[in-house]
Amino acid sequence: MFTTGSKMFLGATTLSVVAAVVFAASQGGAVGLMSTVGLVTAVIIFAFLAGINFFTRDGNTPSMQQGVEQTSSAAQAPVGRSMWPLGAAVGIGGLIVGAVSKPVVFKVSVVVLLAAIVEWMVQGWSERASADHRYNANVRSRMLNALEFPILATIGAGAVVYAFSRVLLTANPDAGRWIFVVIGALVVTGGFLLAGGRTTPKGTVAAICTISAVALMGVGVASAISGQRTIHPHPVIDDPSQKALCLEGGEGEVDEHASQDVSLKSSVVANIYLQEDGDLVALINGYSGIEYHELTVPRSARLGVIFHNDSGEAQRLTGRFGTFPDQPEAVSCTTAVHPGKSAYLGFEIPKTNAASSTPLEFIVPGVDGATIQIVVP
Amino acid sequence: MAVAAFAAAVLFAGCAQDAPQDTFQPKGPNARTIDDVQRPLFYVAGIVGLIVFAVIGYSIIRFKDRGQDMPEQTHGKTWLEVTLTVIPAVILAGVAIPTVAAVFDLDDKSNECVINVTGQQWWWEYDYSGTCGGVEITQPIVTSGELVIPADTPVLLRITSRDVIHSYWIPALNGKRDAVPGRLQTLRMEADEPGIYTGQCTEFCGLSHARMRQAAVALSTADFQTWVTNQLAAYVAPEAGTLAATGEGTFVNQCSRCHQVNGLVAADGTPVLAEPDLYVVAGAAPNLTNLMTRTAIAGWTFDLLTDACREQLWNASPEEFGSLYLQGVWMNSGPDATKPVCFAEATLRDWLRDPAAMKPNYASPDQVASTGGLTRGMPNLNLTEDQIDQLIAFLLERK
Repeated sequence: MFTTGSKMFLGATTLSVVAAVVFAASQGGAVGLMSTVGLVTAVIIFAFLAGINFFTRDGNTPSMQQGVEQTSSAAQAPVGRSMWPLGAAVGIGGLIVGAVSKPVVFKVSVVVLLAAIVEWMVQGWSERASADHRYNANVRSRMLNALEFPILATIGAGAVVYAFSRVLLTANPDAGRWIFVVIGALVVTGGFLLAGGRTTPKGTVAAICTISAVALMGVGVASAISGQRTIHPHPVIDDPSQKALCLEGGEGEVDEHASQDVSLKSSVVANIYLQEDGDLVALINGYSGIEYHELTVPRSARLGVIFHNDSGEAQRLTGRFGTFPDQPEAVSCTTAVHPGKSAYLGFEIPKTNAASSTPLEFIVPGVDGATIQIVVP
Repeated sequence: MAVAAFAAAVLFAGCAQDAPQDTFQPKGPNARTIDDVQRPLFYVAGIVGLIVFAVIGYSIIRFKDRGQDMPEQTHGKTWLEVTLTVIPAVILAGVAIPTVAAVFDLDDKSNECVINVTGQQWWWEYDYSGTCGGVEITQPIVTSGELVIPADTPVLLRITSRDVIHSYWIPALNGKRDAVPGRLQTLRMEADEPGIYTGQCTEFCGLSHARMRQAAVALSTADFQTWVTNQLAAYVAPEAGTLAATGEGTFVNQCSRCHQVNGLVAADGTPVLAEPDLYVVAGAAPNLTNLMTRTAIAGWTFDLLTDACREQLWNASPEEFGSLYLQGVWMNSGPDATKPVCFAEATLRDWLRDPAAMKPNYASPDQVASTGGLTRGMPNLNLTEDQIDQLIAFLLERK
């Protein structure tokens, strides 16, 4: 009465029901609730698929033909050995090792065990789908290749991308640009030539791709071992012991390793410009084109400004963020910024400026009158 | 039968009239821009969906395995593949043109008013400064729950968050915009006419996400001027010897650690400044200076107006809406009234008695261990009934 496919989904439905009941009874809290919701969803999906398979009689299995019940006996012997019991054993072993060592081993083992169980289950089912071994292999491929190919491709592509990222993180920024350009050009050129050449054997293409991927991953591993270069995305001085550095005039140090190019321009509260004449103005997000000397910000919100140094010498932007009861004055600043360059300064002011005994303001130390008042309602 | 009943319920749900958050009822130019794109797309997608479902249903029933011979198997039919590629491509291109145009239209930042909008668990704060719709705002105004804006005026919201990601959405006026800690995003609002337009946080943000609501209240320019003037009015202390005066002291002792009332001074004459950064994870709590000008509390979840007054306000014509709204809970009470007719006192009383019972939060002692004692909502202050009476008397004068 039940077709082979619907039997499998009915089994999965039953298993999901049991798992949902056990999980709901044994696990509490948000994790338990969400997991139970997931398992109940699985019950609904498997039951739906069982119904579809039953109604369509597995889509293309002519099970109503005369005599098919003899030739597709479920009692037929398996085709051959399976590697999946070994995979499941490795997964279980990993679970035990991971439980007493590192969580990552445990998590990877869970994935290995689940993959082995699914592969093993589908292989076992497919080998008894009919008496035709070739047809059975085809059924297995149709079931699992849709999962296997994207997952393996994702893992492969992820490994290549990850290896490439390690290379770029190790190389200095200038070399990184050239590496990106050269490898990108090689890939595009190679792809173009291969696509245009009708006589290139598939084996040659596969060999080139495999060797390239292995070489890239090898360099990636070497780069990862070497370690990534030091990156200074937003050099900010906020160490209280260096407060004097923020408040004193002159060029001070310039962080030559920092990019001094900031691209986060659409999500800051204001862009602050030190102009050639020494005036400090804010172009506030939302107030198009108007130069302000006052900036209103909400309290206790992490916000940021971008400092643009349009003067002729290296300067820093310093934020004086208030002196509140029982606390020293909160001060932070960018490192000195080269002319024509920019830097990001993040800040958070916990209280209204009415509670501060010192003014809240942005200043450029050593430049008289370069001030923007900060208002915190 | 059950399937038919379910389908009918879903179908008839679309006929709801009292649905203030219906995305198909735009009440401003920005929402209308979205509607002009989504409505035709909805029809096209609906027709395509119906066709797909019909073909699949027909195929399942018509070609069900009844023991018939396997049909001829073919691979590759160029004209069909080209057709099935070109048709979706043409449809998508047709969709892309108005969509991209609408995206650029909505990105327009020209405005006559800028308001900071800050989200936190689980309420929205608004602060105003500068000029708004021609109305001068001489001192910053901080309020919560209700975004009060001048009608027929483009307003630019600058949205951020103090704790986790939230999303600001008032469907009648515009689409959604995420409020992300450390980032500031803009969203333009404009209402055609005075009225109240409701919304809801649409990014899951924790335990009381469902109770993080908001509203935009649009007023005529004259009414908005009145609202601003009232918000900036100097603090008037309760008359000595009254219950409200006692409530002022209770407020200073119990509430002012987190809640600011502008102009409030301590017994020694120093300003009382709230320090929510010491008690709340987000570092902020609603400013209660003009609490009774708002129509709801606690993340705009619980009405401060009685049901009848709420209905009256929500159904008011654009011409009479402003005058009703500006009276707050004192609506219908007359100039000499000592007790507001429209005040849903039981709601505020229940809230002061035990906030967590009305709105789940992380404020009980056993829940704040991981945050160093900082709460994510209003804790139960274990107020006595006398203290609640005093606080209500004091808060009723914050109008």
